[in-house]
Amino acid sequence: MEGAWVPLLLTLKVAGWATALNLFLGVGVGYLLARKRFWGRELLDAVLTLPMVMPPTVLGYYLLVLVGRRGTIGAWLQSTFGITLIFTWQGAVIAATIVAFPLVFKSARAAFESIDPQLEQAARVLGLREMAVFLRVTLPLAWRGILAGLLLAFARATGEFGATLMVAGSIPGKTQTLSVAVYEAVQAGQDDVANFLVLVTSITCIVVLLTAGRLVPGRVAGQG
Amino acid sequence: MTQLPVRLAAVAIGLLVSLHASAADLTVSAAASLTNAFKEIGPLFEAQNPDTKVQFNFGASGALLQQIAKGAPADVFASADQESMDQAQAQALVKAAERRNFVSNSLVVIVPTGSTHAPKAIADLGQAHYTRIAIGLPASVPVGRYTKAVLEKANLWTAVEPKMIGANNVRQALDYVSRGEVDAGFVYGTDAALVADKVKVALVVPTEVPVLYPIAPVANSTNAVAAQKFAAFVLTPPAQTVLGKYGFGKP
Amino acid sequence: MTSTTRVWDVDVERRFEHAGRRFDLQARFATDSTRLALVGASGAGKSQTLKIIAGLTAPDAGHVRLGPRTLLDRRAGIDLPARDRRLGYVFQDYALFPHLTVAQNVTFGLGTGLLNPGRRVDDPRVRRWLDAFELAPLARHYPEQLSGGQRQRTALARALVAEPGALLLDEPFAALDASLRVRLRRELAELLTRVPIPMILITHDEADVENLADEVLRMQDGHVLRDVPEFLPPG
Repeated sequence: MEGAWVPLLLTLKVAGWATALNLFLGVGVGYLLARKRFWGRELLDAVLTLPMVMPPTVLGYYLLVLVGRRGTIGAWLQSTFGITLIFTWQGAVIAATIVAFPLVFKSARAAFESIDPQLEQAARVLGLREMAVFLRVTLPLAWRGILAGLLLAFARATGEFGATLMVAGSIPGKTQTLSVAVYEAVQAGQDDVANFLVLVTSITCIVVLLTAGRLVPGRVAGQG
Repeated sequence: MTQLPVRLAAVAIGLLVSLHASAADLTVSAAASLTNAFKEIGPLFEAQNPDTKVQFNFGASGALLQQIAKGAPADVFASADQESMDQAQAQALVKAAERRNFVSNSLVVIVPTGSTHAPKAIADLGQAHYTRIAIGLPASVPVGRYTKAVLEKANLWTAVEPKMIGANNVRQALDYVSRGEVDAGFVYGTDAALVADKVKVALVVPTEVPVLYPIAPVANSTNAVAAQKFAAFVLTPPAQTVLGKYGFGKP
Repeated sequence: MTSTTRVWDVDVERRFEHAGRRFDLQARFATDSTRLALVGASGAGKSQTLKIIAGLTAPDAGHVRLGPRTLLDRRAGIDLPARDRRLGYVFQDYALFPHLTVAQNVTFGLGTGLLNPGRRVDDPRVRRWLDAFELAPLARHYPEQLSGGQRQRTALARALVAEPGALLLDEPFAALDASLRVRLRRELAELLTRVPIPMILITHDEADVENLADEVLRMQDGHVLRDVPEFLPPG
């Protein structure tokens, strides 16, 4: 079934990039929402959660309109940088990133909120700059929750279909991810290919979810 | 104490039963290119057969075939090429005796309106300024099969395939061209006519095999009588007029 | 001109609003006492005042001076962030870093870089404090493995190791039982004779006041009342 390896590798590449992007975006936004009070904070949280509850095809449609060759962002990217996102694996990354983003920022926010703010205050009084407080106190205490969120995001990104199909299309080797490949194999009556692809996807997701599950109820302090 | 679960189960069953489609519903699985025409034909059929409600299920013929093969409750199958119906027949999914062709169509190359380049012959598509061309996936979409056959015959498939943006049905190919996401696309003449403001037909492409649409009742249909009536209805003058209005040709 | 330099010169204001309720803090005091006790009912504003002095909360207006150093002066545009005030702070529930050992906790403030200290006790200052508080055998333990008294001492050592200019304590003995309290109070009193830095202690306990303070400020409803004579220790 060599035909299955190309979509698998592509899926891993797309999901990997999407998760890496979400690491920075999600942790940053999660920290902001956890620690800073401002008017409209919960509204912002709700808006940023939308991609998780919106039907992926609706999301894909909005992305298509924005990022397509004639879209607001797409046209600008094209004329300024000569970049096209539509029908590229980078477009697939954008779709997967947006769809999985809420999983990361919500986990990060919950993880940060579970940390007693007095610990960060203690660190400040002891002379640390904000970045040091974050790296030495906040992150070590929050990383398990964040990582669990990242793993869920990775699983979600590997399974992303609706938005990806709209924005990235399905170009074997370039944008035909596992889920799209399954869809087309079924359409074409290639059941054996479809079954194999589904098996591979399922195993990947189960492994990821099991790993995430081990991390979440973890103990905060190391065991001496 | 056991009363509550029993009551809940009864309510659940009641809901499920009410959701079940009534026996007088007819489900027609039809090729995507038939969407607009069939949506008009549906009410005409219902007017003649007041006890039947028609529901449509549109998609690429290959996808529809797979659904029927896996047991989807369709009563009628109308595909955009002979091959899909041949496959259905080979799997004994349709009543071969009642299969007939009911319309024809043309294969065209379209470009976005306002596009500076328009191919004058399909060989032009090999040129550098056509970087992306929307073509239906040949494995499951008839328009893609027609396209591939034509390009292979002209020895252009190897040049054009790297530029191919695969579409899951002909309407998706049409959409890509309408939005200007691709430089050109292969669709049916009837589809191009629907968005004449957004696309323009550059070429009409003569095909290897004539583009003929067959229709047949599904073998396992629970509504065989109505299915047969519908399959026959599309050949009657009122239905044919509607189809002709959308640009379909006589079978 | 000049007013004479006091040990503490604090005059701060802050309005707290939460769920429609308002609390106006107006803490004003100037003293030469290096053993100051801050007493008052819960909700009087004692912890908030201490946090403002430490730079953890920003007041709406005012100034905070410690000896010749101005930590905060709104009108002059001075507002040192907490990290630059060089104060030792012991929180009510100690706020020990749960992911670090006792030794790492105590060493924490000695390096202000982006990395936590290693597990080995290298610095002689840390070693000295661990020994002074009998924490050396517990150096590699984590806070959750410690008793209340041990945690308190760790918090104190952590606050003192970087030689702060003053020590701020928020009810340091509240979570301990009576006998432990007696013992630790004595230890702190002795410590303070050896480490002559100014101290502000928030407490509910009269025994704390008697043993550790030479001046008492009472707070009520966000204000500092005048010294209450009956709280002053004899002599």
